[in-house]
Amino acid sequence: MDFRSRHVLSIADFTRAEILHILSKTREIETSPRIDMLAGKVMATLFFEPSTRTRLSFEAAMQKLGGRVIGFSDAGSTSTKKGESLADTLRMVEQYADVIVMRHPRDGAARLASEVSRVPIVNGGDGANQHPSQTFLDLYTIAKLFPELTDGSRTLTIAFAGDLRYGRTVHSLLSALCHFRVRLLTVAPRGLEMPQQYLDEAAAAKVEVEVVPSLQDAIDGCDVLYMTRLQEERFPDPLEFDHIKASYRISASMLQAARPQMRILHPLPRVNEIARDVDATTHAHYFAQAGNGIPVRQALIGLILGAL
Amino acid sequence: MAETPSGAQKIRQVEAIANGTVIDHIPSPMTLKVATLLAGPDDQVFMGMNLRSSLLGRKGVVKISGRELTERSVSSLALIAPTASISIIRDYTVVSKNPVPVPSRFEDIARCANPNCVTNHERWSTRFDVVAGKNPLRVRCFYCERSFDAADLTLI
Repeated sequence: MDFRSRHVLSIADFTRAEILHILSKTREIETSPRIDMLAGKVMATLFFEPSTRTRLSFEAAMQKLGGRVIGFSDAGSTSTKKGESLADTLRMVEQYADVIVMRHPRDGAARLASEVSRVPIVNGGDGANQHPSQTFLDLYTIAKLFPELTDGSRTLTIAFAGDLRYGRTVHSLLSALCHFRVRLLTVAPRGLEMPQQYLDEAAAAKVEVEVVPSLQDAIDGCDVLYMTRLQEERFPDPLEFDHIKASYRISASMLQAARPQMRILHPLPRVNEIARDVDATTHAHYFAQAGNGIPVRQALIGLILGAL
Repeated sequence: MAETPSGAQKIRQVEAIANGTVIDHIPSPMTLKVATLLAGPDDQVFMGMNLRSSLLGRKGVVKISGRELTERSVSSLALIAPTASISIIRDYTVVSKNPVPVPSRFEDIARCANPNCVTNHERWSTRFDVVAGKNPLRVRCFYCERSFDAADLTLI
């Protein structure tokens, strides 16, 4: 399977076999890293909007494999502010780098970039649309915890909780999970439910989606709980936000009836939706999940630069 | 009423034209949009809306005198009225009648309805892929990956 020079834009561009190949290469690189694998290669990180976590994780991934990094993390310091088009910025940067990681506030910016650039583009988040490296790290985390995901020996139950309407990570993860033997539970405040487009996608893939009445029902009935943050700006009424926030908060006391192997994931940053007392339980797995971002991004970069 | 060839005895709901194009089976609410889209500023246009239709319940008909459609107009028509049929009229005779061909992809025909789509902020072409159709026709923006009812898009 050849990924050389391939853009990584959207999880929808990857087949089940390709996803499995990426997960297997991630496992390989995590267990036996090759520190000079990308020596002499340059990665440009173009962050038109800030994202400390994603940028640092890509940069660490590249540097741990011997590659170098150039880039910016604030569009205010670039020619974009002077009115330069995105296409022109890319035509300039592609001269300097072997791979470009881009975060941009507009939906579809990464796809546009891929039509301009002669070097591969890795989408580090385009507006509310896609963030494929996050999805690969979510899948890798689930597959490491539950090998059933990839061997198909059991139907895994995965619950999504919180803002399922605007949370782009849940949309991409849902699409990716449609390739596997899973059952999905969802729980979201009114108005922030999973968009129909994704429910249709699950239905087409014959993946059962059940809306459960409360966060407690999701906790008690799943193998993996994927928690997301509620954003205050989505609620016109601050009182309503306070009320709903309280019913979308996990605390250690709510984990009594959870399956012993149940794990909680979260794309981070968390605010109040997971109480600090959950961190010390065996169910907390969100920090380990973030750690998986390094090998996943190493595998993606290694594959598209033809080094893996 | 203009003189019609023999046999056309039934009462017409919309004026006949001697030469030009008849667009039939338009979803009724789209009729005005179709007329505006296809007719030039000096064209004679005849229109019917909310006409009874066994296919659509209610339909619109637009007749444009002295004009045949360009390829681009046909693509635009396919996006906003995918159920329509196009008849070419010459000397009061229907010389061809075909359903509007709905392509699998629309390029530079409409703007994306997602205000945050990159195509609404950079000078770039738009592209929509058909995901389901025809009634309603659902399309998906190639860039922002959002799906829309084609009828909700604004033509360029």
